Amino acid sequence: MLLEVKNLNAGYGFLQILREVSLTVDRGEYVALVGPNGAGKSTTLRTIAGLLRPMSGEIRFKGEPIEGLAGNKVARQGIAYVSEAMNLFVNMTVQENLSMGAYTLRDKGLRKDRLEFVYALFPRLVERQNQLAGTMSGGERKMLAIGRGLMSDPELLLVDEPSFGLAPQLTESVFESLNALKKRGMTIMLVEQNVTKALAVTDRGYVLENGRIELEGRSRELACNDHVRKVFLGV
Amino acid sequence: MWKIEPDRLLRWLKSAAGISILTAVAAAAMATMDRGPHVLVNAVVMGGMLALVSMGLALVFGVMNIPMFAHGEYFMIGTLVAYYVFTPINTHISTHPDSMLSALGPLITIVAAMLVGAIAGVASEVLVFSQLRKRSRENWVMNSFLLTVGLSVVLINGHQLFFGADFKGIVRFWSGAPFSILDVFISRDRAMAFFLAVLVVLSFWLFISYTRTGRAIRAVSQDETGALMVGIGLNGILMLTMALSCALAAVAGASLLFMYPSYPSVGLEPLYMAWFVVIIAGLGNVLGAVVGAFIVSLLKVLTVEYIGSGWDFVVPSALIIVILVFKPSGLFGSEVRGILDK
Ligand SMILES: Nc1ncnc2c1ncn2[C@@H]1O[C@H](COP(=O)(O)OP(=O)(O)OP(=O)(O)O)[C@@H](O)[C@H]1O
Ligand SMILES: [Mg+2]
Repeated sequence: MLLEVKNLNAGYGFLQILREVSLTVDRGEYVALVGPNGAGKSTTLRTIAGLLRPMSGEIRFKGEPIEGLAGNKVARQGIAYVSEAMNLFVNMTVQENLSMGAYTLRDKGLRKDRLEFVYALFPRLVERQNQLAGTMSGGERKMLAIGRGLMSDPELLLVDEPSFGLAPQLTESVFESLNALKKRGMTIMLVEQNVTKALAVTDRGYVLENGRIELEGRSRELACNDHVRKVFLGV
Repeated sequence: MWKIEPDRLLRWLKSAAGISILTAVAAAAMATMDRGPHVLVNAVVMGGMLALVSMGLALVFGVMNIPMFAHGEYFMIGTLVAYYVFTPINTHISTHPDSMLSALGPLITIVAAMLVGAIAGVASEVLVFSQLRKRSRENWVMNSFLLTVGLSVVLINGHQLFFGADFKGIVRFWSGAPFSILDVFISRDRAMAFFLAVLVVLSFWLFISYTRTGRAIRAVSQDETGALMVGIGLNGILMLTMALSCALAAVAGASLLFMYPSYPSVGLEPLYMAWFVVIIAGLGNVLGAVVGAFIVSLLKVLTVEYIGSGWDFVVPSALIIVILVFKPSGLFGSEVRGILDK
């Protein structure tokens, strides 16, 4: 198992959001985490990424416990987190943002390879190289955020709502890029509002409701599940 | 990229930054013709040093979100270290005028002040600010502000307790005839102070723009969470930021010892001036602070020259009010957006 989360409890201050969340992600898998608004999907990713300290529970990455590590240490372990807010460096150019993404890589050749890889995945970013991140459109920023995450040559990519606020056409192109990544062997955990879409592209999925994992299984089967259809698709 | 495009030039000239810089240059030129070149020389020398103090203040605000009101005390620490390091060197120089020390002594003094300033900065971060950060980040701006006020009181009174409240000054760092430029005599100390300021500002700018660590500092100032996400260790960067900005203030204090003798509250004037600068330039805008420092220092020199020395705080304050009314983000805009929402 690349990532193993066991009985995770987490929240903000005294407010507990996640209750006994357990999930696993295998190497090369594309896993969806879906659920209604406020279920705690982003909280789950934030906790894995080390931005939120868990109250209790275990998080193992490549067999090593990482719960309670600070975010920068988690990033160094090989987990890239693309947050909902993206957290780009708005007064830096696209190129500078990408090179910050490779902050942990010391090898110059590798940094160059990564940059080429990201530019090949998002050709749009090449045209915008010298533009300030803060002045880019929502879709471009999403691409930049994913690109910055990929610059560190991560083993696991956590992506929060890549389609949020994007026009359908752009959403499609972001999903295509994620698909291309998966084909090259990248392990991805995807949080998504658009349940139909998420379950159509991923291998496996978890359904989170009120901070608990209610269902898990193959995405194809989850998409036909009565509960899922009733709650998310309104049928 | 560096081609001059007429459109952009025109737009810049019409922007707040362009207008204020041009006004300042024009005012300086007119005053120089009217009252003589000493106006310009004074403004430039003081502006250089003010730039060091203001840059540190802008940096601490931009990166750590701390409205620093103890910054003058690192200036004071610089004067204190310089006094105690330079006095014995000076005694040695006066008996051995040809020794190497008469050239190197002032530099050793300033480097010593810089190091002690950096150490004081690290100590403040470790003992004071990181403690608050560990406990709560709610209302951070207000709480850290109160801490800096407390820190300032402690340091001022610490100075008084251990070193006394008397003036501890020196006559000069560099002996020798003054330089003469444009018929004004500039003492060697002033010339060196300006030269040093230029050197420090330049190296700081190169560091922050082109080195890996400098970029990490900028990244933290723009998005702390984003910085964590790319693997930047916050604690190290915050400590380094504090060390750098306190070292800058200490260098300023040390190199101005010949003008401002060390005493407990010597830092208050540079502190207020530096706050004028960062408010005018835009909070957290480090390079804007450099330009702002020269504008404020010119304003101060002109006020003293034309209105009287009692007014040198009144005029800049009035200007700040005017600027804040028309341009709340400062003349050069701020890199810190919505800082109070954080
Ligand atoms: N910083 C915070 N402080 C307090 N409560 C928070 C904080 N962030 C999130 N919450 C609360 O935690 C709960 C879960 O939030 P979370 O962002 O994880 O939901 P989500 O599943 O990602 O929802 P969405 O689909 O809307 O993004 C929500 O009720 C939210 O109000
Ligand atoms: Mg969310």
